[in-house]
Order: sequence, then C-alpha cells, then structure tokens
Amino acid sequence: MKLLYSLYKEYKVLIRDKAGLAITFIMPTVLILIMTLIQDSTFKSVNESSVPLLLIDRDHDSLSQTLERYITNSKFFLVTKKQLTNEAAKKEIAQGHFFIGIIIPENTSKKLRERSTARVTKLLNSFGGDSASVEKTIDTSKIQLNLFFDPITKKSFKTTISNSIERIISQIEMQGMVSALNEKMRESFPDAKPSPMENTPLVSITEEYASYNNSTIIPNAVQHNVPAWTLFAMFFICIPLAGNIIKEREDGSAFRLLTMPGSYFIVMLGKLITYTIVSLIQFALMLCVGLFILPLLGLPQLNIGNSLPLLFLIALSAGLAATGFGLLVGTVATTHDQASLFGAVFIIILAAIGGVWVPTFVMPDIMKTISVISPLNWGLESFYAVFIRNSGLKEIWPEIVKLWLFFFVTLGGSYLFQKYKRLK
Amino acid sequence: MSVLVDIQHVSKQYKEAPKPAVSDLSMTIEKGDVFGLLGPNGAGKTTLISMLCGLFPPSSGTIFINGHTHQTHSKASKQAIGVVPQEIALYLKLTAWENLNFLGHMYGLKGASLKENIKQHLSVLGLEANMHQKISSYSGGMKRRVNLIAGLLHNPQLLILDEPTVGVDVQSKQAIIDHLKKMNRENGMTILYTSHHLDEAEDFCNYIGIIDHGTLITQGKTKELIAQNNCSSIEEVYLKITGNNFRDK
Repeated sequence: MKLLYSLYKEYKVLIRDKAGLAITFIMPTVLILIMTLIQDSTFKSVNESSVPLLLIDRDHDSLSQTLERYITNSKFFLVTKKQLTNEAAKKEIAQGHFFIGIIIPENTSKKLRERSTARVTKLLNSFGGDSASVEKTIDTSKIQLNLFFDPITKKSFKTTISNSIERIISQIEMQGMVSALNEKMRESFPDAKPSPMENTPLVSITEEYASYNNSTIIPNAVQHNVPAWTLFAMFFICIPLAGNIIKEREDGSAFRLLTMPGSYFIVMLGKLITYTIVSLIQFALMLCVGLFILPLLGLPQLNIGNSLPLLFLIALSAGLAATGFGLLVGTVATTHDQASLFGAVFIIILAAIGGVWVPTFVMPDIMKTISVISPLNWGLESFYAVFIRNSGLKEIWPEIVKLWLFFFVTLGGSYLFQKYKRLK
Repeated sequence: MSVLVDIQHVSKQYKEAPKPAVSDLSMTIEKGDVFGLLGPNGAGKTTLISMLCGLFPPSSGTIFINGHTHQTHSKASKQAIGVVPQEIALYLKLTAWENLNFLGHMYGLKGASLKENIKQHLSVLGLEANMHQKISSYSGGMKRRVNLIAGLLHNPQLLILDEPTVGVDVQSKQAIIDHLKKMNRENGMTILYTSHHLDEAEDFCNYIGIIDHGTLITQGKTKELIAQNNCSSIEEVYLKITGNNFRDK
C-alpha cells in the first residue's frame, strides 16, 4: 500500500512538471528527428551512395561508350562527362568536386580492336606455324587509361574503385577478343551460321551481411539514431531524478520521510519504479517515431527485428541502469546545479564514448576499445544486435548482464553513500 | 507522570569537526510536557533533534523513546514520533489533500479514518476550502499549517517541532499554537519545541531547556526557571546564560 501511494505521488509530481516532461519526451524525439535527417546522407555515403566521377571521353567510340554504360549501371558512381585537359581535370578533383576522374585517350577503342584482332590472328596463325608476320606489324605497348583520385581518398577505397574499373575494362577487353575471334572464324568458315556467343558471367558472387535468421538489413541512419538517442534520453532522466531527490532533501521532505518507519526505502523504490517506467515509455515512444514519423520525412522505416520481448528486456535493463545512475547522482550531489552539471556532462561523455554521436563502427580502434566501458554502448550494441542482426538472448546476454551489474553497483553505491553521509 | 524521552549521556562527534556537536547530554521529557529546547545557532539543537528522530545514532550514550531505542526498535520508536521540520517539507506540485494523503499512508494510516483525520485537521486550521489547491499556490502561513498537519496525522506520542511558526503572520501563528495546545491538552501529546521566538516559547512551553556548546546548561519549569534566575522573562534568562556574543559569525 505504501509503495502504491509512493508510485502515485511520483506520478502526480512528474505529470505536473511540464518542463521535466518536455526534457523527458520531447527532447529525444527532436534529437532523433534532427540527427537522423542530418546523418542520413552520411550513412548513405558509407552504405550505398553514388561516388561523384568525372569522365573525360576523348575516344568517343565503343570502349568509352561501354565503359560509361557499365559505370552508370553499377549505381556506385554519379557520372559527369566533361571535355577538359588533364591539368584541368586534376584541378577539378583536387578541389573536391569529384572523388575520381577517368581520362580515356583518343583512339583507345581503335587500338583495343587492333590489338585484340592481332592477338587472335597471332594465335590462329601459330596453329599453322606462322606468328612472326603478325608480331612485326602490331603495336604491343599497353593502352593507357588515366585515373585521378581526390587526395583525401582512403587507400582501401581507392583500391576498391580501381579494381571495379579494372574489372569493367577486363570485360570490355574480353568482349573485344571474342569479337575478333568471331570475325576470324567467320573468314575461315564463311558458310557457317554460329549462334551469338553468350557473354554473361559464368560465376556470380552473392553478397550478404552475416546475420542470424537470414536477415540482410543494412544499418542506416534510422537504425543507428533511434536506439542511440533513445538510450541518451533514458540516461538523461538521471537529471530530473537526481533533482527530485535533492529537492526532497533541501525542502526537508527527505528528513521527514527518514523519520517515518521504513518509508524512505519505499519512497526510493517508488522513484526507481516510476522512472524505470518513464524510460520504458520513452523507448516505446521513440520506437513509434522510428516506425511512423521518420518514414513521413522520407527516411527509412525503423526495422525492429522480430523479438519484442527481447527489445523490452534491453529497454528495461537500460532503464534500470539509467535510474540507478540517477539515484547515485542524486545521493552524491549536494546541490541541484551540481547534479545537473555533473549528470549532463557525464552522460554526454558516456554517449560520445558509447557511439551515440558517432557510431563505433567508424571510430578509430582505440576509441572502439574504450567504447566498451560505456553503459550506453552496451545498450546500443544490444539494440543493433536485435534490429540489424536479429540476434537472440544467447548473443546479447553479456551486454544485458553488464547493464544489470551497472544498476546494482550504482544502487549499492547510493545506499552506501547515503549511509556514510548519515553516519558522518 | 512517566518519562517519554530519556536521553542518557549522549554525545555526537562529527568526523571533520574539532569539537563534539553534543557532549555528554542527559535529560528527560515527561509524557504530556511541552518542552522548549532553546539555544543559539550552532548550540547542538539540530543534532540532538536528528538523533531523537533516528536520523543517525549518537557517537556515545543512549536515547530512549517510550522505552525503545532507534537502534534496537526502530519501527516502534519512529512510529511514536511526529516531525514538523523548519522547512516546508511538502510537494509543491501536489495539493494539500494529496500531500497529506501520501504522508498519512507513509505513516501506515489508511482508509476512512485517514480521510476523516485529514479533513478534521484541515478544518480546524482553516484550510478545508483550499485542500484541493496545489501547495505552490498557498501563502506562507497556509503552507506552515499544512506542514504542521503532516506531523500530526498519526497522532504521535512525541511531536518534534523545529521553528513551526517562522515567517508566518500573527493569525497563522496563533492558529498553529492554539491547535498544538489543543492536541497537548486533549490527546496528551508530548511536544518538543525549538524556536528563536522566546516570548512564544515562554507562553507555549511548561518546561524549558537551554542548550549551548552541545551541553544542556539549564532546565526546569518555565516559571521556576525565570524565578530562579531573578529575571522577568525567558528571554532575559536566555541572554543571562548564553551571553550577548554572536554565535554564527
């Protein structure tokens, strides 16, 4: 009965605190909307965005046309065609207008055809013992294509782009050779009517993200920002909670409650339960933002995986960790200002370390290592696991245990500190 | 009359303080007394009251409340006490009714008797018409009156009042004192009262103790104490004993 009335009191106090409600529910909603909109393009560049590519075509023939078609169809590049000198092209790339530039010199197609034909002729003639005649007439020097890269391009990305373009050129080369062979065969067998040679690849590679239950969801801005800022908001309730505890201490309510048999413990339990419920409501609200509001803004819909009970467990664990932290801050801090400043700064640091602002997968190795000390990271990794990899409890239990341990440590810390302060 | 509060050789030494806040203090309060505990700032009143309320234990000595100590019978000794802190220890965003209903439940009261009890106190102290207004909208005097009711709800054997009339108008002060006198007279409620309003203490308390530097310097029935010291009022006695020097410089 005491607990019920304590819960009712906390509910009434909370519901009438308009500023507190705004911080608790509106702030994370706004943060999710703003951060997701801002980061959407950044996440796309990491995932699927078109790389701006400058194509300088001086060939105007089959090779350049085929190359352009392949590059455009790959959807990896955003192709812009210009007629520039090599120096002007370099300047454009150096200024950051393009990530990559390709210069196809004059007569490249013609040279490719000549060399393909010569190679095929040489091969066929060698069956009759005569290869020297062809050797003498063809130019064996390599055809040069020039690639220019933006200086800020990472080596790994440069290699990937070079390999992609080389693969496209190899395909064109192969087609040139096959065409030359066809031509030669037609000369040797004028009456034959061969079926056209198929040039579709014989080997195909399927790519898929390693995940459980055959899920193939690519992380995007929504998948990152919704859980990240929800956790941030959940931990941010340490400020109103700590403020609530300090206010009770300052106005003598805590003194009065401590003089009542067993009541202070009940009141603290009431706060713990109330604020944990608030954090669960925050979580549900943020899920709704991800599911229903973000798609209205042209952003992808949040994919919440397929285990609502598991999501509830993560949210409950994170909520308890946040509430425990709030109790500790409220017990240790002596003034409202101290609690607000310390709580806010500490949560912002934990959020930065934990990958809320910048996801851990783009952090340098040292920060990735440090990130595992943040409870926000434990929560975030658990949400990632369920949202993106459809993981089960078997995969995320270490993070859940860490959150519960954090809760018990902060709870124990606040109890011991309270006892120490009273005995002092 | 029997003893309700028995304080035996109680001392309290805070860890970082050079001197004990309370030093070897012994005194008793009999059932039905209105005991005025007077003393300058820093004399040790708050520390003594905190120990009486069970907020922390004494460094040495024992405090018995109705035969129980907080250390051995916390529930029984705490249930015997009602506290009215100097601060307005109420939730400003809740109404008077919600505050008192919550605090009543925290004292273990419930049902119709609690509701009736709240209504009765509110009515006597002229707050019935405003009981569903938030405390934040109350005047200082109204807040003080609700603050007092919160300590009276469970009809405690010992009511501890820390400056219950500070910052209120004459009318509210009179209403508070009259209600306390009534509770003492009709219910036999023992009251421990601290205040810097010495004329109010003289009028209200039948027994006075003056504490300074952590020790009880003098105690006795109010009128006897005035006569023994050849003074005309408690204020004169107080200044004679504690001197004119500032204590909070």
